[in-house]
Amino acid sequence: MNNLKEGFRYGLISYGIILYLNLLGIPLNFGDIVLTIFSLLIGLLSFAFLRKRPNHLRKNLRNTLVQGLIIGLVSGLGLSIVTYIFASLQKDGINVAQVFAQVKPEHTGALTGLTKEEVLGDVSVLPGLLQLTLLFTFAGFIGSALTQLPVEKLRKQFDSKSGLKTISRALFVLPFFFYGLFMLLKVEGVQIAGTEENNLGMLFIFLFIGAALFALRAVEPGRQKSILVILLVVLMLLLPHFADLKQNAILGVVGIFIVMGIGLNIVVGYAGLLDLGYVAFFAVGAYAYALLSSPESYVVLNLPGFEGVNFWAGLPIAIIIGAFAGFLLGVPVLRMRGDYLAIVTLGFGEIARLLVLNLRDYTGGPGGVINIPAPILFGMDLGNPRDILYIAMAFGLIVTFFTVRLRDSRLGRAWIAMREDEDVAQAMGINLVAIKLLAFASGAAIAGMAGALYATRQVNIFPDNFALDVSINVLSLIIIGGIGSLEGVVLGAIVLIGLPEILRTVDEYRIVAFGALLVTMMIVRPEGILPSTRRKRTLHVHEDSESTSTK
Amino acid sequence: MVVLSSQGVTKKFGGLVAVNNFDFELPQGMIVSIIGPNGAGKTTFFNCITGFYEIDEGIILFDGLLLNGKSPDKITRMGIARTYQNIRLFANMTVTENILVGAEPHLKSFWFEAIFQTRRVKLEELEAQQDAQRMLNFVGLKGIGDQLARNLPYGSQRRLEIARALASKPKLLLLDEPTSGMNPQESAELMRFIRNLRDELGITILLIEHDMRVVMAISENIYVMDFGTKIAEGTPNEIQRNPRVIEAYLGRGIATGLKTQTAKTKASNQ
Repeated sequence: MNNLKEGFRYGLISYGIILYLNLLGIPLNFGDIVLTIFSLLIGLLSFAFLRKRPNHLRKNLRNTLVQGLIIGLVSGLGLSIVTYIFASLQKDGINVAQVFAQVKPEHTGALTGLTKEEVLGDVSVLPGLLQLTLLFTFAGFIGSALTQLPVEKLRKQFDSKSGLKTISRALFVLPFFFYGLFMLLKVEGVQIAGTEENNLGMLFIFLFIGAALFALRAVEPGRQKSILVILLVVLMLLLPHFADLKQNAILGVVGIFIVMGIGLNIVVGYAGLLDLGYVAFFAVGAYAYALLSSPESYVVLNLPGFEGVNFWAGLPIAIIIGAFAGFLLGVPVLRMRGDYLAIVTLGFGEIARLLVLNLRDYTGGPGGVINIPAPILFGMDLGNPRDILYIAMAFGLIVTFFTVRLRDSRLGRAWIAMREDEDVAQAMGINLVAIKLLAFASGAAIAGMAGALYATRQVNIFPDNFALDVSINVLSLIIIGGIGSLEGVVLGAIVLIGLPEILRTVDEYRIVAFGALLVTMMIVRPEGILPSTRRKRTLHVHEDSESTSTK
Repeated sequence: MVVLSSQGVTKKFGGLVAVNNFDFELPQGMIVSIIGPNGAGKTTFFNCITGFYEIDEGIILFDGLLLNGKSPDKITRMGIARTYQNIRLFANMTVTENILVGAEPHLKSFWFEAIFQTRRVKLEELEAQQDAQRMLNFVGLKGIGDQLARNLPYGSQRRLEIARALASKPKLLLLDEPTSGMNPQESAELMRFIRNLRDELGITILLIEHDMRVVMAISENIYVMDFGTKIAEGTPNEIQRNPRVIEAYLGRGIATGLKTQTAKTKASNQ
């Protein structure tokens, strides 16, 4: 029974992911092959979930296969129900796109193998949905079956014969090769879409992914991580190309918030300094770049001969000014802890906004700064949403790198020790003043970086862009994702920033949804969706002690 | 040679004089205890030494240098380490990480070096890790370096706290009730361990302790505090016979009772 429940839970998580992608309008991007992509994803999720379980469960063949089937079935049925509702509404002439901007009749058609006219007409979507459910179930099953490959044995065999090792590596390249071929054919106008070819295509992709996973597990364990990183980078590079303008714009905002989240995570997650005025540094970075670059800004207009800097020169300046602002605001709050610190920083955040609002002569006041130039690289204008997304990704990678290095260093240890017990940390010879200021400054530097990117993305910035809710959003996303965890920041931003962007049209209700989500999270999973291992342990102390005492 | 000395140290909390005009001397390489009833001001005196409290009057000297007004981290860097009455480990860090934090005074690398992973950082980190392993072996916590400090049994947590203090390679170690909550066997083991510290590493040790068996067995000199004032000072033998100490511990009535009783028995014997 427990077994079914676990499968059901994984199924619901997979369903959540699929639904999110669905509302983001992925079916429109991929047209007829969306089912292939989704099935593939279900297979991968099933594989990932089931592989992570403890050994004795993973080795149980029947158990694993049943769970795989449930994962596929739950997510398939879930998506079918939603799609059926959308289709019925669309048949009745209700425009679902008013609420979910991306859900159009074509969207429903892509999922059910019908055309737009058929969806709106008399053709039933049920056969298509049945096919969808079956495909997902099959995919979940395949994913679970993949976990049963005797990889350890195979790896040993590969290691003993260097020739086979090469083959296993070659297998790893295959999927990309075939995928490229697949896309090429599509571009050339060869119709692979349509239901039958669709399934065939899926079978192919499945074989390739299987081979990739196989190859991944056949290489030495030490190398797996780097291969995963490469896979992820490739995925990230491909992603913006498949997305349309609107999706790229949404993902761009998500990216900027991920960068900010990583920065605030240093201050709140590692150093344990509750900062509610983080938006101040975001504003500082944005205005620093805006004032130095916009031809209409006070600085450019009043400095004779100064034409304004370009993005790549403005960026480091924004970062440095941001860090300096963090340092300055850090000094007066050095001796404050917990609630007091939170209240004071909250005030700072508002002061920053009021300053840019009221220093009319310099910042343009409510009129903001307009015509902020886009980043230009080798003569290419990178101002469009897709390139902004790429820049945001690059920034995300850079700050992740810096953060991980700092976290694992002497400084990171000192931060965490300070979070655990400030007095004892000081008694261990840690200079609290230095590490607090470093935490504030590095967090603020990252916010400054995000701010500069935000300014160039928005072209025109106004004081209202830097209100309290930015601070709260960033804080919420790290709380929901899991305080102190970098993966959590990414996931938190996708859920918390991406979802409201999808539901833009029902803007008024998103704050309500936000609140409900936060409350639910605090009750159900206070450590966040993907907590850092340490934080998870802190928040479940009582359950631990209970479970040990009952045993 | 005197490692630590204080003259006329006074610490007040509002109207309460927690430590009153306390004179104190701790010679190099000795094990000295401070005892006294609850609320006598022993831990407050510790906090004054380590810089956690700023003293109102008097001076504290360590190695001939004035400690007054120095922050706790600077004092630790000068060579004083301490443990706490109620264990205060970094509960959600691993055992090794706890010790690495303790070794902080000996780490020299800058934060930006960590970003670029310079040779110096790598070397320093490797050495610190190896030192931490050695320290774990020394205190008998071998092989559990990756466990969270919180999950250790009580006795091991005490040991870890001492190990963390030792990681800063102190000249002077302040132990605040190290045997509290231990059974007789564990305390005996800890006593041996503390003696080893002094004998092998040459660390001077200052203890606060309530367990009189431990105090009398281990101390070479004892200071007795009551209501913030020093009421006695001397070897364990002298302290055991000091009437003021008995009075402080057992109360005036009982002390006089004891006295009269001994007088009576003496009289009856004669």
